[in-house]
Amino acid sequence: MKRRDFVTRIIVAGSALSMGVSCGRKIEGDQQETPAPLSEATEPQRTITEPAREIPVIAETDVLVIGGGPAGVAAAIAASRAGAETYLVERYNHLGGLWTGGLVLPLLSTHAVDKQKRRKQVIYGLGGEMAQRLFDMEMAIHEVNPIIDPEAGKYILDEMIVESGVKMLYHSWGVNAIMEGNTIKGVFIESKSGRQAVLAKVVIDCTGDGDVFHWAGDSYETMNYHIGLVHRLGNIDRIDKNKPGYKKMPLGQPTPIPSVNWVNMHGLNDQDGIDMQNLSQLQLQYRKEIWESVERIKKVPGHENVFLLDTASQMGVRMSRIVEGEYKLTLEDTMTFKQFDDVIGISGAWTSMLYKGNKVLAYERPLWQIPYRSLLPKKTENLLVAGRCFCFEQALVEDTRIIGTCLITGHGAGAAAAIAANDRVTVREIDRQKLRKTLEEQNVWFG
Amino acid sequence: MNLTKPKYIRRVSTVVAVLLALPLQLGIFTGLYMWLSPFAMLNSLFLLKSMVWLNILGWSILLVSFFRNRWFCRYMCPVGLGCDSFSKWGKHSRAFVKKIPRLGRWLALLSLAAALTGIPFFILLDPLSVFNGFFAAFASDISLAVIVSFIGLPVLLIIHLFLPGIWCGKLCPLGGLFDELSTWRKWIAKTLLKKKNISTEQNVGRRMFIASGTGLLAGVFIPSLLHAERKQFFRPPASLRGNLFNTLCVRCGSCIKACPSDIIIHHSGKKNLTAWMTPEISFENKGYCLEDCNLCGTVCPTGSISPFTLNAKKKLFIGSINIRLEDCLLSDFKECDRCKSVCSYDAIQIVASQNIMMKPLADLNKCVGCGACAAVCPTETISMIPLKKTTSSEEVSQNTYEFF
Ligand SMILES: Cc1cc2nc3c(=O)[nH]c(=O)nc-3n(C[C@H](O)[C@H](O)[C@H](O)COP(=O)(O)OP(=O)(O)OC[C@H]3O[C@@H](n4cnc5c(N)ncnc54)[C@H](O)[C@@H]3O)c2cc1C
Ligand code: SF4
Ligand code: SF4
Repeated sequence: MKRRDFVTRIIVAGSALSMGVSCGRKIEGDQQETPAPLSEATEPQRTITEPAREIPVIAETDVLVIGGGPAGVAAAIAASRAGAETYLVERYNHLGGLWTGGLVLPLLSTHAVDKQKRRKQVIYGLGGEMAQRLFDMEMAIHEVNPIIDPEAGKYILDEMIVESGVKMLYHSWGVNAIMEGNTIKGVFIESKSGRQAVLAKVVIDCTGDGDVFHWAGDSYETMNYHIGLVHRLGNIDRIDKNKPGYKKMPLGQPTPIPSVNWVNMHGLNDQDGIDMQNLSQLQLQYRKEIWESVERIKKVPGHENVFLLDTASQMGVRMSRIVEGEYKLTLEDTMTFKQFDDVIGISGAWTSMLYKGNKVLAYERPLWQIPYRSLLPKKTENLLVAGRCFCFEQALVEDTRIIGTCLITGHGAGAAAAIAANDRVTVREIDRQKLRKTLEEQNVWFG
Repeated sequence: MNLTKPKYIRRVSTVVAVLLALPLQLGIFTGLYMWLSPFAMLNSLFLLKSMVWLNILGWSILLVSFFRNRWFCRYMCPVGLGCDSFSKWGKHSRAFVKKIPRLGRWLALLSLAAALTGIPFFILLDPLSVFNGFFAAFASDISLAVIVSFIGLPVLLIIHLFLPGIWCGKLCPLGGLFDELSTWRKWIAKTLLKKKNISTEQNVGRRMFIASGTGLLAGVFIPSLLHAERKQFFRPPASLRGNLFNTLCVRCGSCIKACPSDIIIHHSGKKNLTAWMTPEISFENKGYCLEDCNLCGTVCPTGSISPFTLNAKKKLFIGSINIRLEDCLLSDFKECDRCKSVCSYDAIQIVASQNIMMKPLADLNKCVGCGACAAVCPTETISMIPLKKTTSSEEVSQNTYEFF
């Protein structure tokens, strides 16, 4: 009996002991590492003062659009058609921005899914008109997200600008905002003709990089993203697949011209698109790499005739500045059919997404509204922002920066600017009902 | 009608237990009732030598039961209610059942002793786990393992149509634990507090000696007899490894019910019988392990999945990434960076593969195998592969392996 009692006690004591030593069970992570302070002490930049000078005012207009990319062209035409005198300033020799000069040929995203789960076209208005004209010329392929021919694109955009009576100024850089307090009064431009001023009741920033709101002193985020350089290949139709040793090579995607492919470039991550040293470096590196890549393709049997048709005349800067506007459009807004009372149009989506833990495939993505407020910078008066730098959260970037969305925001901004100029109110004060009516008259689709 | 009668209280408790056991996306309340079982709790404590705050529930029941034997059975046990009801409905006499020895206490002692040295032997017989496991079946797609998990409770109940009262009185290790406790209380009262008028059982010591001894030995030897997992699969983050997991997990299915992205399923690998019905992560339905979720660790009543902070998640590996570049859109010069954009652990970079051609590159030290990239990838480029050893972080192994 004694011995058993002893064992019993040992066991009771053992269990008690094991409880005594037991510790809490929870896996904690590491403490957050504090980022190391930037060690490079940058030397203060040397500066020099430019003497003050008188600048000729070459025009006084209702609406001034800076930048002739998809957003800028749409804005200028919409404003002009709505009855405002409109000026469009573009630094290069063509319209369409990255769409044409950047050789980014697919117009995304023309389609999306409505509440009844039907996938339908959402891009109408000026974007629809441009696409239609290109289809009529047989210079666009694919009904959903059409791929266009860049020269045809430049051609019809010129044509539409001329038809709508927009005053076009090529080869001119916008270089600074003309401000009176918080109100923008025009923009200084610079060209072979020298420095000049264009005064306007309303200015629309369609530079893609948000140059104008930057000059005007508005606040913005900067987003470093991947930068690429697109190129095109010729003689695709003369590839001989039966040649001994033939191997399928990645040659990009077809364009409306059967012998020509366009080749997208993702490019390096995390690049600063408004640092010209960096952009120049990338330009040099990419052009060399494209050349080498085409040389390698030509060496593969059957590909001897393929040649480098062109590299894009505009570097593919996807993102840079994003303005801080009156409303920041969110990913959630685009996933939940969010309704805005100041909607200026509806856009589509082209990427698959993880949203709240669920996968949403590209062709299941809902259509989404864009509110006018997101084009209004917080501070500056009479400035509108359209194109890839309007106000949205970065999670949404893949769907806001694309051409279709730029066309919609441009269209809305142009119509709004015309209304503000005609009604002699600020862009913040315009009648939203009237804006909606004007846009409907100009064929914008509201679902 | 006196609502404080045990009968009524037990009915209410059962309703609560059912609600908590159903797969209703209750967050941290999922399967909360399971935490009331001191049997499962002590097994886990003896094996892992660690506790969490929620164990207060189990300790409270233990404390009350020390002074009021079988209090839990009478007032709170949903399985007890079921067994009693079925016993009443069956038309058989109790004479046969009376002859069966009361095995529950043996099971309890053996199990706890074995847990101390390495294997919580009869933890699967915990009534609340059988009960919770039944409801877990509703949270999973059907498989053989799910069916097994599902039939436990009905079989137990149906047996009572023929052998009334056999579970609670004779077999239940939780009930056995309570009985054992009360025996100890009496023993303490008599021998330590020198109370004369208390009658104690004769053979307490003998039972303790045999059951614990066998248990301790079993705990030392049996784990080495279990063969290692033959086929590797994905376990929830912060899971114990291999057979340690398999023997401690009570198959209550709380993790399966709690997972908001529905990626935890009952394991039913034909070659891994010991792992049957334990949680397995399946990426089949393109779900992934959410970066802002730690529910499975929080709801696990045994610590098979350890609780973990969200911050710890970047070190808790579930699996690893495998990239088949030939399918990647980037290999075709198409615009894509979905995988990189969804990775919460910054594990994927898009880098140059050859001149202007880019490719996704994963940092295997950062990739925890959450599966987000595989879920979002528009092509079949990315898949998840299990870790060589089904897993947990180093912290977990430090926490639990120093004893082996
Ligand atoms: C490599 C790459 C691939 C892409 N792929 C696709 C795709 O497949 N489909 C899709 O829909 N989208 C794609 N995009 C995105 C899309 O092409 C652009 O985001 C879109 O064209 C932006 O339009 P925007 O009008 O806002 O700006 P931009 O197209 O950048 O146009 C801005 C215009 O303003 C001019 N400008 C700028 N600053 C000044 C200034 N200071 N003074 C005067 N003029 C100025 C520029 O010369 C340019 O013409 C891609 C982008 C890149 C870079
Ligand atoms: S599985 Fe993919 S998303 Fe998840 S950590 Fe690894 S690389 Fe990142
Ligand atoms: S998501 Fe898939 S296709 Fe896209 S870059 Fe990543 S691996 Fe390639």
